[in-house]
Amino acid sequence: MSADSPHDAQQVPRGKNGRAPDVFHPGAWMPMREYPQHEAVDFAIVGTGAGGGTLACRLAEKGFKVVAFDAGAWWRPLEEFASDETHQGKLFWTDERICDGDNPLKLGNNNSGKSVGGSTVHFAMVSLRFRPEWFKARSLLGYGADWPLDWRDMWRYYGKVEEALKIAGPVNYPWGPKRPRYPYRAHELNAAALVLARGCEALGIDWAPTPLATVSAPRGEAHPCVYRGFCVSGCATNAKQSALVTWIPRAVRAGAEIRDLAMVGRIVMGDDRRATGVEYFREGRWQFQRARNVVVAGYAIETPRLLLNSATDRFPDGLANSSGLVGKNLMVQTNQAAWGTMDEEVRWYKGPPSLALTEHWNYEDKGKDFFGGYCYMSQGPLPVAWASTQNGRGLWGQQLLDEMQKYNHQAGLKIVGETMPQERNCVSLAAEKDQYGLPVARVTYSLCDNDKRLVAHSLDFMSLALEAAGARDVWRETDDTCHLNGTARMGDDPATSVVNSDCRSWDIDNLWICDGSVFPTVGGVNPSLTIQAIALRTADRIEALAARGDL
Amino acid sequence: MTQTRTIDIAIGCAIAAAGLALVRLGGRKAHRSAVQTHIDTARTFNRSSALLALSVLTDSAMEHYRGSFENPAMYTPLVVSTVSLFAGLHGGSDNEPSRHPVRDAVYVSAALAGVAGTGFHLYNITKRPGRWSWHNLFYAAPIGAPMALLLSGALGAVSERLRDEPAHEPRLFGMPAGGALSLLASAGLLGTLGEVALLHFRGAFQNPVMYAPIVIPPIASALLIDAALARPREHWFTRLWLRLTTALGFIGVGFHARGVARARGGWRNWSQNLFNGPPLPAPPSFSALALAGLAALRLRETEKK
Amino acid sequence: MNLPRYPDYDVMEKRDTPSWDEVTRNVIDERLATPDDPHFFDAVEWRALCALCACIVPQDQRRPAVPLAAFVDARLAKNTGDGYRDARLPPMRDAWRIGLRALDAESRARHELPFASIDDEARHALLTDMQQGRLDGAEWCGMPPAVFFTERVLHDICGMYYAHPRAWSEIGFGGPANPRGYVRMVANRRDPWEAAEAKPGHEEKAQKENRRVR
Repeated sequence: MSADSPHDAQQVPRGKNGRAPDVFHPGAWMPMREYPQHEAVDFAIVGTGAGGGTLACRLAEKGFKVVAFDAGAWWRPLEEFASDETHQGKLFWTDERICDGDNPLKLGNNNSGKSVGGSTVHFAMVSLRFRPEWFKARSLLGYGADWPLDWRDMWRYYGKVEEALKIAGPVNYPWGPKRPRYPYRAHELNAAALVLARGCEALGIDWAPTPLATVSAPRGEAHPCVYRGFCVSGCATNAKQSALVTWIPRAVRAGAEIRDLAMVGRIVMGDDRRATGVEYFREGRWQFQRARNVVVAGYAIETPRLLLNSATDRFPDGLANSSGLVGKNLMVQTNQAAWGTMDEEVRWYKGPPSLALTEHWNYEDKGKDFFGGYCYMSQGPLPVAWASTQNGRGLWGQQLLDEMQKYNHQAGLKIVGETMPQERNCVSLAAEKDQYGLPVARVTYSLCDNDKRLVAHSLDFMSLALEAAGARDVWRETDDTCHLNGTARMGDDPATSVVNSDCRSWDIDNLWICDGSVFPTVGGVNPSLTIQAIALRTADRIEALAARGDL
Repeated sequence: MTQTRTIDIAIGCAIAAAGLALVRLGGRKAHRSAVQTHIDTARTFNRSSALLALSVLTDSAMEHYRGSFENPAMYTPLVVSTVSLFAGLHGGSDNEPSRHPVRDAVYVSAALAGVAGTGFHLYNITKRPGRWSWHNLFYAAPIGAPMALLLSGALGAVSERLRDEPAHEPRLFGMPAGGALSLLASAGLLGTLGEVALLHFRGAFQNPVMYAPIVIPPIASALLIDAALARPREHWFTRLWLRLTTALGFIGVGFHARGVARARGGWRNWSQNLFNGPPLPAPPSFSALALAGLAALRLRETEKK
Repeated sequence: MNLPRYPDYDVMEKRDTPSWDEVTRNVIDERLATPDDPHFFDAVEWRALCALCACIVPQDQRRPAVPLAAFVDARLAKNTGDGYRDARLPPMRDAWRIGLRALDAESRARHELPFASIDDEARHALLTDMQQGRLDGAEWCGMPPAVFFTERVLHDICGMYYAHPRAWSEIGFGGPANPRGYVRMVANRRDPWEAAEAKPGHEEKAQKENRRVR
């Protein structure tokens, strides 16, 4: 066992010399297969998050030769995740991106992870299924676009992801078609979650403990949750079932190689309109890995950025972009909230941030003057995050201090709200260059009227719910977003989509995209479960295609 | 993980010892004279009541501490079970063939406290959002816990009544005493089983061993019912199974200790893990009831019908 | 409502308990050892920054202050970004330099004195104008003052304050929690290692509890 200092993770790659960190034992290593760069591997995967990590695991388990790259560090959560929000900023994508549009986005710790395991290392573990009708949003509900996937197929894959991650969820789930019982039981609701519950009962709608990707009982080497509340700053107990502690170790055991601190800068194309491999920056120099197939899984900003940065004479608009849609239709989810003060001590810092939710407005179509849906969840922001919310309200000085002094008596309800795909919302390349010499991403975002009506409806409803639960001084946070999707959408027509239902790009046979970019619509639930389900399905499809010789 | 390794070794030894004991003792019956048997039975029931009371004392102390003794009534089970424990120890060495009025009063009040406790717990569950829901059954006041106090009181009270019975063909509740006691022990096992099933379900049966306490005791329970209602005969298999159930209770403590050790921070984080981890004092309640069952069985085997 | 108080509660008391682990101790120690002098800003900018921090987060003079200016300066020296910036702002370091100089210029225009030399009321008025978008001197170099105020001034300074253990103790936050998290999750219940809120008329009780927090 060799010890490496905590700061090493961001300086010196750990996935090399035939070994990978064993995240379950401090300082320990596990053997990892390595592939020579000059020999083409079956799949080079860019990104190891909910899409890339899951796919790397399943392809390796199916016998393919896989190398997955991540620009981020390979963390050891047990020893390296401090109980400190600011220090844990090391989990986020802190390289520059420029944000404009009517509603410039906040990125970084809001939604962009940079580590082996991607954004699942910092996510809030909320694991929800799409409402079935959303897969045919245009045909059935009259907005957005249809997915080229059948909900029944996705329903099976959702079950597999839930089983693989041992999702801790309620015994009975009030919404949607029947689903198998969640593998682990839901966590104990904290006081903040009980406020949501009371509010819902007062207004006569269903609520439920949130299905979460953190274990409520021991699982293998993972400890059960200790309710420390630092979830979105990284779980230090390995209770959170991030890709880092689930798909990635499985991938390594199955023979995949993971290269951390490896920023892929370019996908290289051959003369035959096929990709030949990826150029990546690691250990101070640019290197090249040959591959028979390239999968881009960098999430909704880095994926289009890489495709655009890989433009050549033959592909002047970037790779896989004959539709012109690479980078377009960026969707976030609205994340507005209602907050209030309770007489009782709530101390919302205890436990995962979103222990209870209601999906009522995802499944109820009456009483809405907008398309799409939203769910809302209880909250538990830690001090720095909470101060930031107050700043958003414009508070500073003594007013801020006084407001923050009420910390232990706060309760809140926050939505994950659907936004419409709009081509004007996009990721493009800015003139500025980053530390690798690559053009920085420009992220342009504006809400449309439908989005704003949804937000208005939600704020009215949540304010009512909070008051019904006994909150005073209820106020509304009107400006916040979460998640990123849509910039390389899937479809069944090459003119209006970038990839097909197998996540294979229409233009380039051996170029695939497997992350949140492929969503044609974003739904009113957190995307992580859907991304992983798509990755499982894609792995099965790849296996079938390979068997037919169609790869 | 060395904490769990030590406990694994301890559990292994305990299982080996239990296995050895079972193999050697098997279902063998010991011969007793008629006079001693019903008093012996009574004393065993006193001791089982004491063991249950000890389990209730430790469990309710921990759980009500976790509940911050918010309602002063939460001190009741600590006081009552302590007194019941002493009563049980006293009765366990008392050969008097007559009911002891003080002990009896203690047992009856323990039983009543158990009933009251169930009422309180029901209220606690149903006043929370969701009312009668899986979540509240898992995390609000445990619905089955006060029943252990009721059982402790019942075992003790029954033991006092048994002492009053004649040595020859003692009867309880209109049936031969051995049969009645077997039914009581059987009911006790089933009741305890309910609580374990709920909590192990909450733990998602993440370790297959967690099925043991919902497989072994119901069989013991069924065998005891059979012993009570069928013609009296030797029940070596029932005896074996009850000894197995007894061992299960103590080995369960080992597994629960393992559960505490393998939580984040292990024993060092005792101030959290003793409360969030599996309850150490709970499994011996099976042992208490199985031991009572064994005593009832011995008495039953001396009966004519 | 009377603002909740947690007299004598100090998260640092838990430093050697199961609530803090090695990596957390190292991180906090490093933060507390931040030198209280500028490494990025020059002397003029530093004075303006210190005055600005004192306005944004007024601290009780009777207690040792959280060195906010030092934290802001240290971060800019290291240049760890947020991972995004509003298109209307220049990169973080430039934004701060421009902003502080512009603030001094606005102050001189109104009071003939730099920001650090005017009184609290004047400072407050100037900052309010900045927040409301009423400043527009040439020194801003096209950077919208209101956006600078929200995205940089408030974001950076307040974030630093609430990243300090003293602020955590002040608001009764549980603080670091690994491996020991929490047991009592419902309302009005605290674990013995959490802050005790002083109920009106019972402040001493809370004080005693908080001194025992471990």
